[in-house]
Amino acid sequence: MEPKLVKIREAARMLNVSIDTLRRWDKAGKLKPVRLTPTSNRYYDVNELMLLSSNLLAIAKRWVLESSPQEPDAPFYCPDSAIFQTKLHKLEQQLQAIPDLREEFSLLTSVAGEIGNNSFDHNLGSWPDVRGILFAYDLKKRQIALADRGQGILKTLQRVRPALADDEQALMVAFTERVTGRAPEGRGNGLKYVREVVTNANKAMKMILSFQTGRAALTLNNGDTAVRVITSDFSFRGCLAFIEF
Amino acid sequence: MTVALKKFGTTLTSRQSGKEALLAYEPVLKSVVADETIIVDFEGVNTFSPSWGDEFLVPLYRRYGDRLVLQNTSNLSVQATFKILEESNSITFPAA
Repeated sequence: MEPKLVKIREAARMLNVSIDTLRRWDKAGKLKPVRLTPTSNRYYDVNELMLLSSNLLAIAKRWVLESSPQEPDAPFYCPDSAIFQTKLHKLEQQLQAIPDLREEFSLLTSVAGEIGNNSFDHNLGSWPDVRGILFAYDLKKRQIALADRGQGILKTLQRVRPALADDEQALMVAFTERVTGRAPEGRGNGLKYVREVVTNANKAMKMILSFQTGRAALTLNNGDTAVRVITSDFSFRGCLAFIEF
Repeated sequence: MTVALKKFGTTLTSRQSGKEALLAYEPVLKSVVADETIIVDFEGVNTFSPSWGDEFLVPLYRRYGDRLVLQNTSNLSVQATFKILEESNSITFPAA
């Protein structure tokens, strides 16, 4: 797909900086424009500008909280699992090229893969409104965001654990116990694996995961031995994960 | 028999593709004879995850047990996946 390009004036407006700032960033190599010839006008890739102008967590949060359901912006939208696999493979290749992640790239990719695949596996055919997930990453900021407007962990797990009373209990079970919401399958290792990898990651590659479903949230850090679920000040139906590394 | 996983892909993460991989490979597995060793070779695999492993590797282990040999398993996601699959399925993959 051809990148959508805008002129410098529009780029400056999107980033809320002056045109001179963009020229300085160009000289400093901080944000390189596209130029057809060395002296022609500067054009900027809209996708790159969108990443720079916003915080991925804020984008994902805005999407799951949206009261009138809409698809996420095209660069971040994975309507089905096949598109997610393609984007995940691209992320894997880009992570692999980062010198200090030559070994650890596979852990990051598998963690993002498990979280994204979980959304598809548990909501296939049952999406309440928008089908699919939001998957965005910014390798300069070292952030990955994944979100869905699916049924959420409580509803999924209540099928096999009807006694689960609230989001907090459900989130705790998902990260600490062997259970699956896809009964009769006797599986469900995804989020336990995520916890294992995040908390045991090589100290050279610090990974922090923030995860929320409904109103229940948790944060996992390298070295954590216990899972502590808290009640967030906002609530939504699906799942939201944010990985920093 | 050697099963070269990279022939299924190098990013082996989804449950769906793990399931498809096993289904597609069943005709080949029919030719396995009694006592034959099944080598599963991870060479070239970039990312491996429990969802894929649950659908492909665990059924192979249940079928062939100690006749399964896992090879070229140094990738970190392969190692981390083995650990969680062993714990959650109460099994121990044979040492390479």
